Amino acid sequence: MLRVAWLYLLLNEHGGEQELDRKVKTRKGEYKMLTSGPIVVMQVPEVLNVGEVHNFMQELGPLLESNRPRVVLDLSQVRSMESAGVEMLLHCLEEVLKRDGDLKLAALSPEAEVILELMRVSRVFETFRTCDDAVRSFNAIPAEAVSQNTPWCANVFNELGIVKQAS
Amino acid sequence: MLGAIIITDHSDRVQGRTFVSGERSAQTPWAAVEVLGKPPVTRLADALWEVCDLVSVIARPRDHVGAQSESSLTDLADECFANYIGKGCDAILIACCGTYFELDIASMLAFHQEQCLACTRAFVDDGPLDVWIVDPSVAPAYSWVFSSSACARSAVYRSQAYANRLQSASDFRRLVLDGFHSRCRLRPEGAEIKPGIWVCEGAQIERSARIVAPAFVGRNVQISEECLITRGSNVESNSHIDFGTGVENSSILPNTYVGIGLDLSHSIVDGRNLFNLQHNVSLEITDPVVLRESTARGRGRQSSADVESGMAVSSVE
Repeated sequence: MLRVAWLYLLLNEHGGEQELDRKVKTRKGEYKMLTSGPIVVMQVPEVLNVGEVHNFMQELGPLLESNRPRVVLDLSQVRSMESAGVEMLLHCLEEVLKRDGDLKLAALSPEAEVILELMRVSRVFETFRTCDDAVRSFNAIPAEAVSQNTPWCANVFNELGIVKQAS
Repeated sequence: MLGAIIITDHSDRVQGRTFVSGERSAQTPWAAVEVLGKPPVTRLADALWEVCDLVSVIARPRDHVGAQSESSLTDLADECFANYIGKGCDAILIACCGTYFELDIASMLAFHQEQCLACTRAFVDDGPLDVWIVDPSVAPAYSWVFSSSACARSAVYRSQAYANRLQSASDFRRLVLDGFHSRCRLRPEGAEIKPGIWVCEGAQIERSARIVAPAFVGRNVQISEECLITRGSNVESNSHIDFGTGVENSSILPNTYVGIGLDLSHSIVDGRNLFNLQHNVSLEITDPVVLRESTARGRGRQSSADVESGMAVSSVE
């Protein structure tokens, strides 16, 4: 069974797996964002039945126990998935969230997409078209980094106010 | 005297249910699959009984797929054809039932007699149908209609009648929806207990289940608590939709169990085989908790009147 695990190191000048903080400039000032540490990208086997789930978890399990685990599961090869496979995905998500990490699904095969929809879990996961997109998403500026004090429409309304005054 | 021969299994001419990989239904043509309570081939036979003196249906049994070769079906058809000649039929209608059609057979027969040709073939807007009326005094056997001499000596009967080629899963779904919306003469079996909701005898629908029109619930179907059946879905005979599952714009073929808490949409399910029309993907679900073949229960303990009093139905489109 083809199963490849590889690591992506996020964009930082120093490389390596040590944690490095990154500062992102926002309107409000600087926001500290952790971008370091490896992102684990793992390919899910073609058939995800009870036996395969056990084997797969033996490989993935230790990675989930790290600090702030960041995991991308590549579902491009999935052709069949039993309820045990869906439970495994939910279990992994629960584990990474417990440790302040995240799990994202990428390159879902049509079969995987249908099964996740069928089992009503497709909306639970963040999904991406490719693994690269999923990896890059870990590097995106989180919502809380953007100033929430001024509503987005404030400028528009200010302009409208000017128009009103003019009329 | 008019005789009719319907041949349901022409897998070399009709693309059957290629989406399924399971043993049960491989190569079963769509025309032999229950649609709103009755297979199209049975509906055709019923319609032919009104105008024909003799009707024979030649089919490969569902559980003998592969056991009989196509040639043996042809032999049976030839035998039937010879039998009709012996009984004095002056015209024989041959229908290779891969397509659902609503031809006016009486009008086609009148046309055939006017033309005085050996054979008349029916055509609809999008091409020829595998429906012929042949003159047995010219045609020696059933298989003659496929010969080049038959092509040379046949008249063309053009009709504007409704026809569905039933070549794919989406054709099948289209037939279901056309039946619901009265775009063809195919009417759901059972009683229309609310506008757009048909329920057949023996169906058991729990009080908290919700059926939204148009929808069809077949014979001895069990719909468990908190289920939702909606948007032109049909649940065919002896199937079971288990607790909390939603079925939307989907067809559940006979003897299918659909598990707990699922969200089934834009799909056709036949036992453990699922074809999703939106993603154009077929799956075999090996997990029996999710999908499986259900055994025919034949409960028949609840009449449709009982069903009406016990269920929550809505005729909201």
